[in-house]
Amino acid sequence: MSSLRLVAAVAAKDLRIELRGRHVAGVALPFAGTLLLSFGLALGPGRALLEAAAPGLLWLALLFASTILARQAYEAEAEDDALEGLVLAPVDKAAVFAGKATAMAVELLVLEASVLVMVAVLFGLPLGRGVAVLAAALALGTVGLAAVGSLFGLLAVVPRAREAALPLLVMPLVTPVLVAGVKATELAVAGRGGEAGSWLGLLVAFDLVFLAAGTLVFEHLIEE
Amino acid sequence: MAEPARAPAISLNGVTRAFGARPAIVGVRLVVERGEVVLLRGANGAGKSTLLRVVATALSPTYGGGAVLGFDLVEERDEIRRRTDLLTHRTRLYEQLTAAENLRFACALHGADPGAVPAALERVGLAAVADERVGGFSQGMRQRVAIARTMLRRAELLLLDEPYAGLDGHAREVVDQAVLSARDAGRTVVLATHERTREGLATRTVLLEAGRLRPHPVPPARSVVPR
Repeated sequence: MSSLRLVAAVAAKDLRIELRGRHVAGVALPFAGTLLLSFGLALGPGRALLEAAAPGLLWLALLFASTILARQAYEAEAEDDALEGLVLAPVDKAAVFAGKATAMAVELLVLEASVLVMVAVLFGLPLGRGVAVLAAALALGTVGLAAVGSLFGLLAVVPRAREAALPLLVMPLVTPVLVAGVKATELAVAGRGGEAGSWLGLLVAFDLVFLAAGTLVFEHLIEE
Repeated sequence: MAEPARAPAISLNGVTRAFGARPAIVGVRLVVERGEVVLLRGANGAGKSTLLRVVATALSPTYGGGAVLGFDLVEERDEIRRRTDLLTHRTRLYEQLTAAENLRFACALHGADPGAVPAALERVGLAAVADERVGGFSQGMRQRVAIARTMLRRAELLLLDEPYAGLDGHAREVVDQAVLSARDAGRTVVLATHERTREGLATRTVLLEAGRLRPHPVPPARSVVPR
């Protein structure tokens, strides 16, 4: 089977499991909503403060929700030792990684659409300005988060690492996505999208580094 | 090393596999010729699962080495994986997928023909529930789906690790039929089980005790399975 067809088969399998398990709608989205509401209450009613904090809160919500999706992407593999089926398949493990990352990116995009609406409503994030830059930042951030989540999500099914290790490892790693995403979003909603080039460039570099790292390292992680 | 086409199905040369400081199998030397059906017996913790998982390349040897179907156990894992199938009581199925979807995904991973999925499910008596999610299946039904997967793959070497665990009479018969069908097709089977009644399936029995292969075969028990 060609690598592309394998990527598609793995992604389709993961998305089918997600559609039936409803982790995005049932777990990640409520979590992101609760987080946004909690921050909103903590910041108080000041409109200016909420608007200023909105880009950061948007990306924090996405970041935390992405770790939930990463863990759940591998829970199905652990349920009945299905992961061993992937390990023992004579296929390019980089394609398995790419398939899992593709499915997670699609799930994140669905999540982002909902979280974006929440942030716009709750914090008055002006979505009309700098749409192209905002879309680019979200798309590039999605690729980076999906790459990191699909690589380190494996830790969620390694017995000794499990729950605590994933966010502890992933959060520092995705700091560039958080910073660049927040800055690009700030500039976009302030109507200064033209100044966001360096932040979008940082997101591109991050995506390339972690897609390459996942492609090279995934096989070594998935094997014993 | 012999040419892959003529080499024994399994040739282990002093394989040891340890987990931390605890060795699960120690210095195992074993040759299984092609077409043999070998019953691997031993108490719980004797190392049967570890041995099968080393042969299947799910685990690497800590010391020693060997070849499976003529391919090096460490250096040519994908060649071995292409030709070997490991069936355990853990069925490696996705609960949210239907029986047919699980098998089609396995076909995608192993290059098998997805068009043969309905016939494989028919053979294990699950055609009527092909489009139901396996999350609602009993252990016996899941194991039958896993056996349908081995039928689709038709691997040269079939490794069965306690495949009867938790199965009812019908599901046990399906496992037996899978072994007999592999034997009749000239494929090699290694079957690890506590059940001495399954010795009728085998061409020979080997015994594993505390991680070491014992040289003398276990006396045959009364068979309930036709030769």
